[in-house]
Amino acid sequence: MILPYLVRLTVLSLACFFLVHVVLAVAMNWLAPWLLRVAERRRPGSAARLLLAARLFPSVASVLVVACVCVPSYLWLEPEATVERVGVVCLAAALLSVAIWVVSAGRGLRAIILSGHYLRRCRELGRETRLAGEKARVIDGAGGLFALAGILRPHLVISREVLQNLSALELEAALLHERAHFTSRDNLKRLLLLLAPHVLPGVGLQSLERGWAKYTEWAADDRAVAGDPGRSVSLAAALVQVARLGVNMEASPLMTSLVADGRDLEARVNRLLGAAQCGEITRQGTPAFIAASLLGAGTLLVASMGPTTLQAAHRLLEHLIR
Amino acid sequence: MQAVDDKPAGLASLGHLEIAVMEILWEHGESNVHQVAQRLERPLAYTTVMTTLDRLYKKGWLERRKSERAYLYSTRQSREAWEHQAAEDFVTGYLVRPHPAGELLISCLVDAVGQNAKLLDELEKKIRLKRKELDRPGKS
Repeated sequence: MILPYLVRLTVLSLACFFLVHVVLAVAMNWLAPWLLRVAERRRPGSAARLLLAARLFPSVASVLVVACVCVPSYLWLEPEATVERVGVVCLAAALLSVAIWVVSAGRGLRAIILSGHYLRRCRELGRETRLAGEKARVIDGAGGLFALAGILRPHLVISREVLQNLSALELEAALLHERAHFTSRDNLKRLLLLLAPHVLPGVGLQSLERGWAKYTEWAADDRAVAGDPGRSVSLAAALVQVARLGVNMEASPLMTSLVADGRDLEARVNRLLGAAQCGEITRQGTPAFIAASLLGAGTLLVASMGPTTLQAAHRLLEHLIR
Repeated sequence: MQAVDDKPAGLASLGHLEIAVMEILWEHGESNVHQVAQRLERPLAYTTVMTTLDRLYKKGWLERRKSERAYLYSTRQSREAWEHQAAEDFVTGYLVRPHPAGELLISCLVDAVGQNAKLLDELEKKIRLKRKELDRPGKS
C-alpha cells in the first residue's frame, strides 16, 4: 500500500510502538517474579513505587522510543518526496497497536465514567459531614464502606454503621490511612494501570499489579501509623471492625477501600500488631537517587538522539516498513 | 512446555497445601520447588512440596518446564479465572443434583461466612492482647 509521507510516519510509529512494547512486556513478564522478590525486601512504599514503575515501564519506554528515536530519525533521514510501499507486517503491527490503545483507552474511560456515577450516587444518598477536618459523605446501610473514591479530587465515603462502630482513635487511624492514599494519589495510579496496555495474556504483569495493590495498602497503613504503636493497634482494630460489617467489593475501579476484598486482612493486622516493621513516614526517593535517575534518563535521551543512533533506527524502520 | 490435560481436574479435589501453593505461584509467578518451599508459611520438607507441585501439574492446574536441572512451575489459569470457576463448580455441582435445596446452599454460604467470623475473632483476640501489652506500665 502506498501512503503519503505523514500517514506513513504514523503507521511506522504505531507499528514501532507495538513491537517495542511486545518485547518490553515479554521482558517484564519474565522479570516479574524477580521484581516481586526485590519488592519483598523493601519498605512497602518503595516496593509499591518499584512495582508501579515496572508495570508502566513497557508502555512509557515504548512511547519514548517512538517519540525520541523513530519520529526524529524518520523526519531527519526520510526524504519527503520518496514513494514507498508499506508492507503487510508493518500495517498489521500498526493495527494491533491501535487495537491495544483503543482497548486501554476504553478501559480507562469506563473506569472514569463508573467512578463519576459512583460519586454522583454517593452525593445523592449520602450526607456531607466533616470528620477530623476531612470532608466525607456518610451513607446509611452501606455495611463496611470506608473508602476514598474519585481521581483528581477524591472523596471519602463512609457508611454510618462504620462511624457508629469505630472508637474515636480507630476512626482517626482509619482516616489517616485514607489520607495517605489521598496524598500518594493512589486512585490516579490505578487509572494509569488501567490505561497501560495489556499486550500479553501472561500472569507476570498482573502479578506486578496485584503486588502494587498490596504494598500500596501496607504503605498507607505505615504512613497512617507513623511508628506509633498505639495508633498501629487502633488501625488494626479498625480493619477488623470494618471487615465485620461486611467486606465491600469495590464498586468503582477508581476507589481504595480500607478493607478492599479482605484477602490481605490477616497479613495487614499481623503486620500492624508486630509494629516493629512499621513506622515508614512519607519517605520519598532520596535526592541523590532522583538526581542519578534524571542524569541517567538525560544521558540516554541525548545518546538516543545522536546521529549514529538515528541512522541505525532509520535502517531498522526501512526494514520494518517493507 | 508440557501440560498433562486440557481441562484441569475439579477444584474440590484441591487440598489446603495445594491451594497455598497455587496462591504462591499466582503471587510470584513461575517458581521452582525450592522457591515455593521457602515462601510457604509453615516449613515443609522439600519432597512434600515437590510432590504437591507434581500432583497439581498432573491434575492440570500447573504447567512446567525444565530449566537446567529443575522444573519451573507456573499456573495455567489466572487467579480470577480460577475463582470464577470455583464459584461456578460449587453452584453448578450443587444444582445438578436431583432435588437441590436452596436452604442447604444458603447454609453452606453461612458456614463459609462463619469461618471468616472465626478469623476476625482470632484477630480481635490478638488486638486485645496487644492493647493489654501496651497498657502495661513501662510500655509506651
